[in-house]
Amino acid sequence: MVEPKVQGNISPVGENKPRIDAREKVTGAAVYADDIQFGNGLLHARIKRSPHPHALIKKIDVTKARALPGVKAVVTGEDFPGYIGLYLQDRYIFCRDRVRYVGDPVAGVAASSVEIAEQALDLIEVEYELLPPVLDPEFGAGAEAPLLHPDLGKYVVANFIFPQAGTNISNHFKIRKGDVDGAWEQCAAVVERKYRIPHIQHVPIETHVAIAKVEVTGEITLWGSSQSPFAQRNLIAQSMGISQSKMRVIAPFVGGGFGCKAGVSMEALAVAIATKVKGHPVKLVLTREEEFYTAFVRQGLVAYFKIGCDAQGRLLAMENKFYWDGGAYTEYGVNVTRASGYSSSGPYEVPNIKTDSCCVYTNHPVGGPMRGFGMPEMHAGLEQCIDELALQIKMDAVDFRRLNCLKTGSSLVTGSRMHPTGLPQCIEKAADAIGWGRKAPASAPNKRRGKGLALMWKAPAMPPNAGSSAWVELAEDGSLNVGVGGQDLGQGVFTVAAQMAAAALGVPYESVRVAIPVDTRYSPYEWQTVASRLTWSMGNAIVNAAKDARRQILETVSAAWEEPIENLDIVNGVVISFKSEKEVPLKNLVIYGLPKPDGQGWRGGPIVGRGNFMPTYVTGLDPETGQGERAVVHYTTGAQAVELEVDLETGRIDILRGVSAFDVGKAINPELVKAQMEGGFVQGMSSALFESLQLKGGVLQNPSFVDYRIATSTDAPKDLEAFIVEVPQDDGPWGARGIGEHSMVPTIPAIANAIYDAVGIRLDGPPFTAEKVYLAMLDAGIVK
Amino acid sequence: MTLDTHPTLPEFEYIRPATLAEASDFLARHAGEARPFLGGTDVFVRMRDGFLTPRYLVDVKRLDGMNDLRFDPQAGLTIGAAVNMNRVAAAPEVQAHYPLLAEACRTVASYQLRTRATIVGNICNASPAGDTIGACLLFDGVLHIQGVDGPRLEPLKSFFLGPGKTTLKPGDIVTAIQFPLPPQGCQGTYIKLGRNKLSDLSIVGVTALGCPDAACASGYRFRVALTSVAPVPLVAGAVETCLAENPITPDAIQEAARLAAEASTPIDDVRGSARYRKQMVGKLSARALNAVWRKLG
Amino acid sequence: MAFHKINITVNGAQEQVVVPSNMTLMQMLRESLALTGTKNGCSAGECGACTALMNGEPVNTCMVLAAECDGVEIVTVEGLADDNRLSPLQEAMLATGGVQCGFCTPGVLISSRALLDRNPNPSEDEIREALVGNLCRCTGYVRIIEAVKAAARTQVAASA
Ligand SMILES: Cc1cc2nc3c(=O)[nH]c(=O)nc-3n(C[C@H](O)[C@H](O)[C@H](O)COP(=O)(O)OP(=O)(O)OC[C@H]3O[C@@H](n4cnc5c(N)ncnc54)[C@H](O)[C@@H]3O)c2cc1C
Ligand code: FES
Ligand code: FES
Repeated sequence: MVEPKVQGNISPVGENKPRIDAREKVTGAAVYADDIQFGNGLLHARIKRSPHPHALIKKIDVTKARALPGVKAVVTGEDFPGYIGLYLQDRYIFCRDRVRYVGDPVAGVAASSVEIAEQALDLIEVEYELLPPVLDPEFGAGAEAPLLHPDLGKYVVANFIFPQAGTNISNHFKIRKGDVDGAWEQCAAVVERKYRIPHIQHVPIETHVAIAKVEVTGEITLWGSSQSPFAQRNLIAQSMGISQSKMRVIAPFVGGGFGCKAGVSMEALAVAIATKVKGHPVKLVLTREEEFYTAFVRQGLVAYFKIGCDAQGRLLAMENKFYWDGGAYTEYGVNVTRASGYSSSGPYEVPNIKTDSCCVYTNHPVGGPMRGFGMPEMHAGLEQCIDELALQIKMDAVDFRRLNCLKTGSSLVTGSRMHPTGLPQCIEKAADAIGWGRKAPASAPNKRRGKGLALMWKAPAMPPNAGSSAWVELAEDGSLNVGVGGQDLGQGVFTVAAQMAAAALGVPYESVRVAIPVDTRYSPYEWQTVASRLTWSMGNAIVNAAKDARRQILETVSAAWEEPIENLDIVNGVVISFKSEKEVPLKNLVIYGLPKPDGQGWRGGPIVGRGNFMPTYVTGLDPETGQGERAVVHYTTGAQAVELEVDLETGRIDILRGVSAFDVGKAINPELVKAQMEGGFVQGMSSALFESLQLKGGVLQNPSFVDYRIATSTDAPKDLEAFIVEVPQDDGPWGARGIGEHSMVPTIPAIANAIYDAVGIRLDGPPFTAEKVYLAMLDAGIVK
Repeated sequence: MTLDTHPTLPEFEYIRPATLAEASDFLARHAGEARPFLGGTDVFVRMRDGFLTPRYLVDVKRLDGMNDLRFDPQAGLTIGAAVNMNRVAAAPEVQAHYPLLAEACRTVASYQLRTRATIVGNICNASPAGDTIGACLLFDGVLHIQGVDGPRLEPLKSFFLGPGKTTLKPGDIVTAIQFPLPPQGCQGTYIKLGRNKLSDLSIVGVTALGCPDAACASGYRFRVALTSVAPVPLVAGAVETCLAENPITPDAIQEAARLAAEASTPIDDVRGSARYRKQMVGKLSARALNAVWRKLG
Repeated sequence: MAFHKINITVNGAQEQVVVPSNMTLMQMLRESLALTGTKNGCSAGECGACTALMNGEPVNTCMVLAAECDGVEIVTVEGLADDNRLSPLQEAMLATGGVQCGFCTPGVLISSRALLDRNPNPSEDEIREALVGNLCRCTGYVRIIEAVKAAARTQVAASA
């Protein structure tokens, strides 16, 4: 075989290519939703919200507000009868008959200035009849609780979600595998624990922003800070009763999402208001305080675990009960319940397992997707139980995990088999890097040092038919333009998309552009940017699109050179023949084609490749047992370890070191993967040490950065290490699977286990604030 | 309710008087609807929350003398009201003679906020959590106040009446804070316990200052100021007496710390419980006193 | 409401702007001058996304009234690059991967620039302290801190 004439390592896959969007971001040129200039026609929207956690709306009087000069429109639920929601349509755009949480929207105003819109809100009079609120999911699941959604039985719902009409349970997911009741007597050790995981917020530094404009023809354009332009197109159009083709969503750069900008939330409010002021763009920007009150929250969890193993440490049985505090509407949260159910064994092989995972309506903020999608909450308790179990049978906690963790071919909680996985290697990397088994002296007499480790697994949680698509087209100079519908939230997916497209087609990375902003009118369909699924799913679509373009190019050249396609390749932007050693740069043919000899005309033409991907092999699960052939597409697995110090005088925790090791299948861009692991670790650490939405009687006590603290530059550990393990995914591009969310899943239990190692206390849930740690030590007599 | 926090500052009129007298006169004439401001870092936040609704905000930053920072080897240190905290923390005179004040400033919020935030604003805001107040109390700060009847001096120790309440009357403008020379050989420390390592408001703040003092039986005079644990910043007098009368030993320091805790009257709030706060006053007072004792060598 | 005519220098250009009393410097930059690189993350002085240099010192522009800025000199993120040439800090942020969503980045760059101006060779602790008012939810700060260290090295090398 002839060596290709074009030399050099041309595949950018696996290379640390610079971020494609970084230059715009460091110069201030990157445009985010609130940066778009709309000119003088722009109107400003503000929302009148419920001050009560639960009440009937008796009357809304907007006449005074409408009369205020400068006010262009005032809308209420009366104008918008359609339901909306992703998996369960349980929500109106504006409340119609009752309010279910503090912050529930009851009316919206568009005015010529924010100040006028604000004044108008004060003029809207709402009469409420207060109802008793449900403030605890366990109580809410019971028969005595007031019913929050009497129409639950009538809501439109996805076929894998099981609402219990006549109760507050909007989804009940069950696992029944093996004989749990029979297994307990064979157990040498059993741990039974209850945990409470508080609500937290995502806290992107950019709050939610939406600008909507409705033409006189009824065509709608929405510009939003969005993870899900296509889902927003679909759901908003459905709710408003219009064609999806009349709804266009444009999604510029997003200043962080972490889940809260997925699905539909405040965007529908902006659109609804805009329908009443046709021709005017209407902008709604959530204040930071509103963001805390009304953006999707990571729902609270009350979790019961009972876990047993035999004398050799082999896990035998698990019985788990999860009560998810789904909040006022659980349109998205119902699937967190499902995901935590089908992952409820944790990354372990457990022969006998029974799980009941319930999503419960409460009068708390609306639960939704957040980085980890139920997994950080679930693992927080489970991975502490594992440590406790190991302790009971006097086995090292890492040995215990080595023994029980999922390996390739292990039997899963849902009955199927584990695909090839590098979880065992992740354990070794994390344990080794943290110096497992070696105790370092504390840095001061009033401090105690400890180490902890935890594992995780997580599958992309999505409907079985969540699809991706992509196109590629080439310009006159041979540069490649890649069309995608997925969104870069900071995770770097545009960069990875460019790398994959370049590699799959055979052009230099530097010649690739990604066609952004994503615009549902021009961009190819993508379900949502969630579930850490883009590198894998959208990546597959991009590869398919590149292959399609490649085929078109090679067919043209093959015909022109009268050589079989097998002899040809595209290397570094040049089509070459291994046989004839001919070559032609792409730019010479991708628009105008190639001339036939002797003025016989031309062949080929503009190249546009298209590709899609959908995991057609995903099957359903039995509603009674949760068993099925292939419930999910794959599981990313990993381990984290921490070393920390506890200050005995104050209870303050100082994280000294954090180690992450995840099996990503293949790192398309290793530095971006490591950046996810670091960022996820610190976010996980922040949730472990600082974060909780303090809800009192349904009212948020800390709705601002003043009292909702997140990790700062001085809190982040000085020593953060990230290890990449690569056991390829059979259907991933180059073997890749996701990593974005996983990096904060095991952090809470790793820290909790390290606290136990340091001072011997366990708390019933995060955040492990200095106060909680100190008072627990005081009560346990560890300090005086 | 904070759910109604305004996206922007509500309407008001920005006023920048040319002279102190003019400013004072304006404030007195518009009592109840005009408010002086320096960095605005407290005022603006409270206006967005709807707690303050002034019709006029009077910018007193550029008035005569407000930006002066002067050290006089006889009279001590005078800091103009408008001198921001970064300037105070970086001033060589402060670092040389009142390093505790610089240390306290550096614990407030962030560097960029301290470009605006002032010590006088911190004091006039009269939050029980004000981070610079402990140091100002222990250095026996005296406020220079311009009122409608002319200038007057007011010692800081009698300035605070309750959370957000001071002895200031309509028309009063604090123009500077003045500190006498610090006690010979004194050493101090400020321990701020927040939820984050830095930048948070305090759950408990303990300021300690100690110096050799022949008039005390122990040979030393120690003073402790407590913040976030009572309606107003507190100087724990019992600590001073205890350590003046008893030889300075680890036990005496423990006892003094216990007295500090006893003097505190904390409440439960979102930042911490009363129980934890009381515990922490004891622990951190001991830590602060020990640190100062070590520095005194 | 009262309006004020102010003369202000922004990124070297002299501007005259008429602003209402209640307009913040952040709003003036973003709305009146369309300099949208300065971001709004909280309007409360907490997040640092709106940080810009005012007479050489960093401020939370959401905590400054535009009306106060007569005669003042402002530098925003848009003023950091020299024409098309990125500053060492910007280059370092690209190289270390200190940028993810990018929303905190303008404020981070301004705070870091101010730090290096007053302390060309900061320790890691000094860098962390200088950035404590710039919340970043994406990066975990490590690569941002690396970038400031790297920029400091470049600058020290360049001036040696
Ligand atoms: C994000 C953020 C973080 C913060 N963190 C901290 C912290 O860690 N620790 C802390 O202690 N504080 C903190 N604060 C509060 C605030 O920054 C400080 O109290 C600061 O010192 C106030 O100074 P200022 O000049 O900005 O005051 P201003 O807001 O200008 O004024 C404060 C009060 O004093 C009155 N006043 C101002 N000037 C005069 C005068 N000359 N005469 C009479 N009355 C006057 C005003 O009317 C107002 O009531 C924080 C604030 C913010 C926004
Ligand atoms: S927007 Fe100014 S600090 Fe957040
Ligand atoms: S990069 Fe997203 S907030 Fe810092």
